[in-house]
Amino acid sequence: MPQIEPKEEEDRQEGNWEDYIKAYYEKPVSFKSWSGYDLKKIYTPKDRSAENYQRDIADAGAYPFTRGIHADMFRGRLWTKREVVGIGSPADTHERLLYLSRHGGSGLNTIADVTYEMGLDADHPWAVDEVGLTGVNITSYKDMQTLTRDIPLDRVSWSLITASTAASATMAQYVAVAQDAGYDIRGLRGSIQNDPIHFRYCGFRPACPLDLSIKLGSDVMEYCTRNLPKWYYTTVNMYDLREQGITAPQEVAFGFGIAMCYIDELVRRGLPIDAFAPRFTFYVSCHIDLFEEVAKIRAARRMWARLMKEKYGAKNPRSMQFRFAVHTAGCSLVPQQPFNNMIRVAYEALAAVLGGVQSLHCCSYDEPMCLPTEKAHLQALRTQQILAYETGVTTVADPLGGSYYVESLTDKIEKEALKVMKQVEEVGGMEEAIRTEWLDRQFESEAVTRQKELNTGEKLVVGVNVFTTEQEETTPLGVQRVSANSAKKQAEDVRELKCTRDMNRLTDAIKRLRDDAGEGRNVIPAMVEATRALGTTGELLGTVREVFGYPYDPMETLSSPFNA
Amino acid sequence: MVKEKKIRVLVSKVGLDGHDRGIKVVATLLKEAGMEVVYLGMYQTPEGIVRAALDEDVDVIGLSYLSGEHLVFTPKIVAEMKKHEMDDVLLIAGGTFPAEDIPTMEAMGIDKVFRAGSLTDTIVSYIHDHVRR
Repeated sequence: MPQIEPKEEEDRQEGNWEDYIKAYYEKPVSFKSWSGYDLKKIYTPKDRSAENYQRDIADAGAYPFTRGIHADMFRGRLWTKREVVGIGSPADTHERLLYLSRHGGSGLNTIADVTYEMGLDADHPWAVDEVGLTGVNITSYKDMQTLTRDIPLDRVSWSLITASTAASATMAQYVAVAQDAGYDIRGLRGSIQNDPIHFRYCGFRPACPLDLSIKLGSDVMEYCTRNLPKWYYTTVNMYDLREQGITAPQEVAFGFGIAMCYIDELVRRGLPIDAFAPRFTFYVSCHIDLFEEVAKIRAARRMWARLMKEKYGAKNPRSMQFRFAVHTAGCSLVPQQPFNNMIRVAYEALAAVLGGVQSLHCCSYDEPMCLPTEKAHLQALRTQQILAYETGVTTVADPLGGSYYVESLTDKIEKEALKVMKQVEEVGGMEEAIRTEWLDRQFESEAVTRQKELNTGEKLVVGVNVFTTEQEETTPLGVQRVSANSAKKQAEDVRELKCTRDMNRLTDAIKRLRDDAGEGRNVIPAMVEATRALGTTGELLGTVREVFGYPYDPMETLSSPFNA
Repeated sequence: MVKEKKIRVLVSKVGLDGHDRGIKVVATLLKEAGMEVVYLGMYQTPEGIVRAALDEDVDVIGLSYLSGEHLVFTPKIVAEMKKHEMDDVLLIAGGTFPAEDIPTMEAMGIDKVFRAGSLTDTIVSYIHDHVRR
């Protein structure tokens, strides 16, 4: 029997009846949605009098896809259960992938650490203390071999989360390793995040100058369109934007704005819209307001369909389908009373599924504390499995469609998002909004507003500004640590590799890369060859950076070894 | 009337960690609470942070860690502060940490750790109550 501490016993005996009685009569503190819209006490047919079902809603699988991109939705295939993995060395990360594969995961998903995203090799002076702390660093061909070892690349679906300009190196490394292992790259399935524009807002500005972001991002997209027909070549990351504290409509509007920067570039390169648009995908947040998140997803689908058809003249319905993965909102999770995070994640995941998600990552409950432990990772996967196999939410497409409330909220989010897109147009378009830091200012002021809502209690978060308790002294399922030895060994391996490779072959490959970049050709084929010649992430990217007039090293510490 | 000296705070990211939403919000709200705040930005080194703190003659240094690098950089920053005899400067940190690391960080020399989910009012009153100069 567990011992009851004397203090606890006292609490139990005395009770807190005043609060208890007050709680009996209490009402919600707010009648607004998370994004701040006033909600009515009930929605009725009167709210839907102007509705045109065929034009604005339609069945799942039919334009404008408000209700879903497939007619049979989850009856045809469940969403991909794709937990993000990235920890320590490529070997450590590989091990966690195997673990999740043994417990019912259905899509591989690996994430770059800060050093790799910045385009630094594991032996870079700025990298050595941080390699592997937030993901995995792939410095060379050999690291990618270790990460993918014995995994049937022609049959699995792999999501490579490298968002920055380093995504070009990631794609080259994956292609080179897959080809050399005997796989036909035309059969490779998966996705790469490859959204360097948004990543400037995640702390990677030195690695993601705007022109280079558009150049390298679009090179990956164009290369994949021509060579990897089953690959999703970008996952425009609206999720990270939302994590800055913005509202649901802003998430959609800013995400679409960034997406259009790439699309405009691909069109400028002469690719017909229907040749590439069917492989365009998004990464969406699901925050804690269940109905607003479902409405946001439905609105995004309708808006995307219309944008692709009306603005870009798409003819193929597949080009008009808003495909997306969901990451449950990391910023909604708190370290106070950490088990509560499992409940938050479950609601957010429910929103994703009710919204018709294609691929889902559930945060682990320890997200605001450390990288996921094995147990926490498994629990996050179990959250998905309970949704998929127990709750019955997979049986009917768009189960909230036709709700007076959800349809009205869908319209509201669409209207608000269109307003924000108009605002972006008025400041001169997305590229201009980025250059003038207009977008930075939006993020900053919204983040301050969100914090004030917590300070004043306008928004409640259990354990933060309501029902608070003493700080926990331990993390319930333990703490995931990254082995300092893994990082050290990886840095040593890289140093060793740099001493032993064939420098003549590498110098030739780097020269070709430099020429291709300088002459405006797509650099991915040259990157694939340079990767094979054991050129590293930092070397590949540094070479292209110099051509574009940027310092070889984003941290401005190293200079190119190829300029002697 | 004697004007009360404003509390001066330097806040900074350390190393490559790019999560700056929290620290920018804290910087703004400390300013609104009447403090003078210098935000150094991203990609700072322990030496650079301490040098800037000396140059700016601050009463408080606030560090933001969200990428698991807190146990690596904290001892380096504390060592730099010791080297410059900055015993009278309050050192606080915020971000994402496992509970187990809080006593470790405090033992390393951080006066107070604020985890994600801390209200900024709590940070403001802590600084007012504990500032040493």
